[in-house]
Amino acid sequence: MNVLPCSINTLKGFYDISGVEVGQHFYWQIGSFQVHAQVLITSWVVIAILLGSAAVAVRNPQTIPPDSQNFFEYVLEFIRDLSKTQIGEEYGPWVPFIGTMFLFIFVSNWSGALLPWKIIQLPHGELAAPTNDINTTVALALLTSVAYFYAGLTKKGLGYFGKYIQPTPILLPINILEDFTKPLSLSFRLFGNILADELVVVVLVSLVPSVVPIPVMFLGLFTSGIQALIFATLAAAYIGESMEGHH
Amino acid sequence: MANMIVASSKALITAASIPTSTITSASTSKPRFQLPHISLSPKIRITKHQFDNILASSLKSSVAIAASVLVMTPPSMAVEIEKAALFDFNLTLPAIMIEFLLLMVALDKIYFTPLGKFMDERDAAIKEKLNSVKDTSSEVKQLEDQAAAVLKAARAEISAALNQMKKETTVEVEQKLAEGRKKIEAELAEALGNLEKQKEDTIKALDSQIAALSDEIVKKVLPVSSN
Repeated sequence: MNVLPCSINTLKGFYDISGVEVGQHFYWQIGSFQVHAQVLITSWVVIAILLGSAAVAVRNPQTIPPDSQNFFEYVLEFIRDLSKTQIGEEYGPWVPFIGTMFLFIFVSNWSGALLPWKIIQLPHGELAAPTNDINTTVALALLTSVAYFYAGLTKKGLGYFGKYIQPTPILLPINILEDFTKPLSLSFRLFGNILADELVVVVLVSLVPSVVPIPVMFLGLFTSGIQALIFATLAAAYIGESMEGHH
Repeated sequence: MANMIVASSKALITAASIPTSTITSASTSKPRFQLPHISLSPKIRITKHQFDNILASSLKSSVAIAASVLVMTPPSMAVEIEKAALFDFNLTLPAIMIEFLLLMVALDKIYFTPLGKFMDERDAAIKEKLNSVKDTSSEVKQLEDQAAAVLKAARAEISAALNQMKKETTVEVEQKLAEGRKKIEAELAEALGNLEKQKEDTIKALDSQIAALSDEIVKKVLPVSSN
């Protein structure tokens, strides 16, 4: 029976060394509700970065684009291409949604890896990527759900619900279940990936402070980019799926 | 540990189902396992108590393990740290939704729509320019045709002039040739005439000498007849 406290003590030792704070939040009280202040603060920074850089780069578009404008044009073309391949010819109105989804998640993920949040000390919890919090990812996933319902209903009216008994009415429960699994998988995939990535980096840094964590950090950057791409692509795919005519 | 728990639960079942411990049923149900204990009822009581104690302690320990595991899952063991709240939904969720929608509208206003429009317009302008470039290519063709025609005319002119010159020169040359021929013919005729005259002269001279020569030949050949 002595084994347990012993292992707990060693775990606690590791925990104290690494200083990982999982699930620790800095709460703000708004009325009778609470919010995770660290998430809101970092999301404001991310939004400021996005709006600021876009405003500076696109303020005065040139026919022969300078470097910054060229970069933003590249990003816009990338988003348009992504939306077009997933949604089809009527992708135009969905570019802002897909683009904002991609850019917000991408900049959030990379901000967790690249910005030195640790400089700013909070009374409780710590600043990290906004996508590190389940609230953010669930919010984005629910918005995606609302978006694809909206897309289907505006395109096909109430006939949209006919897809639930396609190709046969037997699949009705599975089709309904899909509407729940889609946001669930979207949010948990992003949340888990980003949280695990940050944890791995923090633990490795605490154990081996020098060279070893660097490849893992690059892997984390790669994963973050991929996750943003996956989220945006899946959102576009769901929207396209609900807009396409069934046959 | 596990064995103990299993054993105690078995004993508990038998003891609970047969509280007065009829020997026959107990012996038939568990003949080889608990035969020595079941022969005496007080002993069973004792064992039941023991098993209860063991069960309680084992349950306690397992509960303790479970509790410690539950508490420990995020390894926040320190006393003052509260439970880690990974799945802590609150007002942050709608706040992020609203933030996202505002960000979408703002980005659309300052980035997607203006830059997209600008890029489309530029694409259209470039396409137009390309088309106009295609039009000038037909113009270039026309000009090329013109140039070819001009070249052809010039060539024809030159060849005509060349022909004329050739003709002129041949006429001249023929004239000169004819002149030279005439001259030569005249000279030839004169020379031939001279030659004929000389021939006649020599023949005449020969004719005049023939009589004397024949007289001399006759004299020399026929001396007797003359004697």
